[in-house]
Amino acid sequence: MFFGLPGGAVLPLYDALYSAGIRHLLVRHEQAAAFAADGYARVTGKPGVCLGTSGPGATNLITGLTSAMMDSIPVVALTGQVPLALIGKDAFQEADTIGISLPSTKQSFLVRSAAEVPGVIQAAFKAAVSGRPGPVLVDLPKSVLMETAEANFPPAAGPVPSESPHEWTDDDLERAADMILESKRAVLYVGGGVITANASEELRELADLTHIPLTTTLMGLGCFPSRHPLSLGMLGMHGSYATNMAICQCDLLIAVGARFDDRVTGRLNGFAPNAKKIHLDVDPSEVNKNIRVDVGLVGDAKETLRALLAVLKRRNIPPRMERQQWLQRIESWRSEHPMTYDKYANNVKPQFVIETLSQYASEDAIVAVDVGQHQMWGAQFWNFTRPRTWLSSSGLGSMGYGFPAAMGAQMAFPDRQVIAIVGDGGFQMTLNDLATVVQYRVPVKIAIINNRALGMVRQWQEIFFEKRYCDTDLDFAPDFVKLAEAYGIRGARVEHRTDVADAVQDFLSDREPRLIDFWVDPAENVYPIVPPGASLAEMVVEPPRVLVEEEALDDLWAV
Amino acid sequence: MQWLLTLETNNDMISICRLMNIFRRKSLNITTLTLSARPLGFSLMGVVDSVEADIDYLFNFLRRTEGVQHVTCYRHEPFPNASFVFIDSEEDNSGVTRVLEAFPESKLIFASHGKYLLEIPAEKRRSSASVGSRDTAFHPFACVRTTRCAPQAELAAVQA
Repeated sequence: MFFGLPGGAVLPLYDALYSAGIRHLLVRHEQAAAFAADGYARVTGKPGVCLGTSGPGATNLITGLTSAMMDSIPVVALTGQVPLALIGKDAFQEADTIGISLPSTKQSFLVRSAAEVPGVIQAAFKAAVSGRPGPVLVDLPKSVLMETAEANFPPAAGPVPSESPHEWTDDDLERAADMILESKRAVLYVGGGVITANASEELRELADLTHIPLTTTLMGLGCFPSRHPLSLGMLGMHGSYATNMAICQCDLLIAVGARFDDRVTGRLNGFAPNAKKIHLDVDPSEVNKNIRVDVGLVGDAKETLRALLAVLKRRNIPPRMERQQWLQRIESWRSEHPMTYDKYANNVKPQFVIETLSQYASEDAIVAVDVGQHQMWGAQFWNFTRPRTWLSSSGLGSMGYGFPAAMGAQMAFPDRQVIAIVGDGGFQMTLNDLATVVQYRVPVKIAIINNRALGMVRQWQEIFFEKRYCDTDLDFAPDFVKLAEAYGIRGARVEHRTDVADAVQDFLSDREPRLIDFWVDPAENVYPIVPPGASLAEMVVEPPRVLVEEEALDDLWAV
Repeated sequence: MQWLLTLETNNDMISICRLMNIFRRKSLNITTLTLSARPLGFSLMGVVDSVEADIDYLFNFLRRTEGVQHVTCYRHEPFPNASFVFIDSEEDNSGVTRVLEAFPESKLIFASHGKYLLEIPAEKRRSSASVGSRDTAFHPFACVRTTRCAPQAELAAVQA
């Protein structure tokens, strides 16, 4: 199964595809192919494959590959290239695909003869899944695609095993165990590495065994059930008050498959300032990159967690009571500032839409989001129950990701419910693939959180640029319902809070692609927010009511 | 602090392009850089100015970069502790002769475009030190990290 769009340089490849029996999904823009391959990879754990022709076909893949690179997603991109003899001669549809792809891929190959193809393809898949996964690009000149050669597959052809050797010693594990047992206010901080390593069970066992509360990054959502008593939800710029406070006051931070990203840490010297730190990561270059740690355990998360659990089980684990004080303190922070919104508003609150979608979605539903406010509300209000059900362009933050990623996920699991929750801004970047879902009867559900604006940018202009709103207004947009209908998809618009639940139930009731356009409160903002350059402790928990009151007072004086 | 990095890559020029791009993106302050082709790949040697934490990160980043086969990292050290000597004799034709005179029985690790990296045999280090210290063209280094199978004892302590 792969996602692509043909062109001149890859005609021989498509000619071979004609009788190859490999499923191909014809997208309407190569960026969607890359995002769909990414979505396929996230839900299956296997490499997703995308294809574009030379020149613009290849350059259109780059954003998707960069997103996969940032989020460590195994994607193999095949690109057409002009014939070998024309490379470097500015031929028609020639681009330096390898040069352009260098920072966006883990590895890039230029194939110079047909005989190289089997070996290169195998190497590409191996590189994509080994160690820290990532995207790999294989550039295929047309002259190579037109060659005839004996298919000479390398001996190890078949499923490609990943190679993730560990670098820790038994002493390192013992030290980590000592620190865990000595700590009084520990927090587990978990990222996408746990999902990549399929280590959710081991993680849960560690949390349950040690009674340590657990927070996830945007990438880690789903690896631990949202409603588990030890779940703290997401941390960082839009993390909850209780979670960020727990990070600020913990005495031990155990990072697993996470990279201390700036959106997570805020100002570095304010991040878990009094905590000892243990870092488990498959990538040695992540250990001590942003934050100095006391113990670095380089290795696959599953293997390392298992080894750590084995060490801990040989020790006397203190009873839950010993962590009770810490857990109660976190609970009091949670009560002080719960993650909530105005539930009695007349207009449609976006958080309410997310909660309702989550409430009526199947338990194994996959949700793909775009980037912006709705993405953060999704992270805050979706009820996560299992890994590989949350798709988000987290590191690169690429708008337009949600819908095609959902398409890729749906192709991987045709019988599961896949919901794309997108913003009106992001959806307008990749909505041309509505044609694709209709053509292939891909039953993706598209929920637009429509605030008629580039909401997150508008929020920043409001909070950090004195409400000088500049080019964030998206009032001029198509009627998404009519647009859906033009493609042959049932669409609906919801403008009243009381209509949300019924509309959602109807939206999720069948196995057809559907679109629903929620006209949400355009003034709603994402809180808490950690201002740029601030520490987590300096988060702004709710809209600045004091300022509103001052404004009202000014108005009164003016009268 | 001055560091010397040697890298060996596969024979795909894309790996070298990737490395150059990594050096640019990581804002590496390179004072000397030499590249040479081997039958089965490329060798690259660079002298950089950096703080230790950044070099640690760079070493780890490079060793997991696709196409890179080996990375070795040397730290500038005073002569008595140095087991390696780097000489840049690009503008001085007597360089090779001086190297051979000053450090007999040394093992040549890298040579390209008048730049040499030599390993001084343990038993010669003391005598070489007196010669090396007199010539400012000789830059002493100690190997601190390598992806090669070097016994721990041969690596200088990472913490100075």
